[in-house]
Amino acid sequence: MRQPVKEMKEIMMAAIFDVVEQMFYVFLEPIGDDYADYAMEAAIQFKGDLKGEMSVLVSDGLAKSMVQNLLGLETGQMTKEDIEDCVKEVANMICGNFLGRLDRTRTFDLSVPSFSQPPRKAVTGGDACRLYFDSDGESFGAILRLTN
Amino acid sequence: MSFNVLIVDDSKSVRSVIKKIITISGFRMDQCYEAANGKQALEILSKEWVDVILSDLNMPEMNGLEMLAAIKADIHLQKIPIIIISTESSDERRNAVLEMGAKQFVKKPFSPEYVRKVLYEVIGMEDETTRERNERDNDGGDF
Repeated sequence: MRQPVKEMKEIMMAAIFDVVEQMFYVFLEPIGDDYADYAMEAAIQFKGDLKGEMSVLVSDGLAKSMVQNLLGLETGQMTKEDIEDCVKEVANMICGNFLGRLDRTRTFDLSVPSFSQPPRKAVTGGDACRLYFDSDGESFGAILRLTN
Repeated sequence: MSFNVLIVDDSKSVRSVIKKIITISGFRMDQCYEAANGKQALEILSKEWVDVILSDLNMPEMNGLEMLAAIKADIHLQKIPIIIISTESSDERRNAVLEMGAKQFVKKPFSPEYVRKVLYEVIGMEDETTRERNERDNDGGDF
């Protein structure tokens, strides 16, 4: 069931666009290199025919834009909890959407998303896919790590 | 006639969005209760009358499947219609949830229009947009 990396990246890209555009009204431009200006990270583990973790990395400005677009809150009105909750939900939705696109017939168990600010130290090796995006000078990244 | 709604999701943001969708859709909502997991939902259901439940699946403490099973096993609660709203969208999961007694399954990310349509379907009412369109179509055919 494990697809080639190129195919997985395309599926992951489609899942990211679907979620951030439809729920958070954010439009992303793929970029080649790691933008490296991430303020926070949300990660979610999944188990099934494939086992691994999906994490999303977001700059502070983009996280605030997503909260603003989702909840209609201005920057001064939103709390740290609003931002954390929103970024965790982005990871949850992207992971679920990605796995559904990968194989609709298989069921995966998802963990409850975790949040880190600043992001955890980058794990080297064993990564299946890394995708980086720009959104009006703000940064978004997604990393899929497979453990089987 | 207005309805009491229970929204169950561990994300406060998602609960707020669903509540906003219901409010602006013109759905006649009386009370809107919120719970962050199945356990909290069951506590609310032990005290309050609820007409429809919209619930996530993946939640800490008590997930949506466990909550659904508990509600369907309770003679006082089993008739409350439940709409599952989840990122977990495999055919197997969807079928399992519907076989357990959920009325509808909505995949996240969702559009406000789709949530509204499903809500009205489950409650057994026509929403105002659909009613207006049907009335317009019927008027157009009368000459």
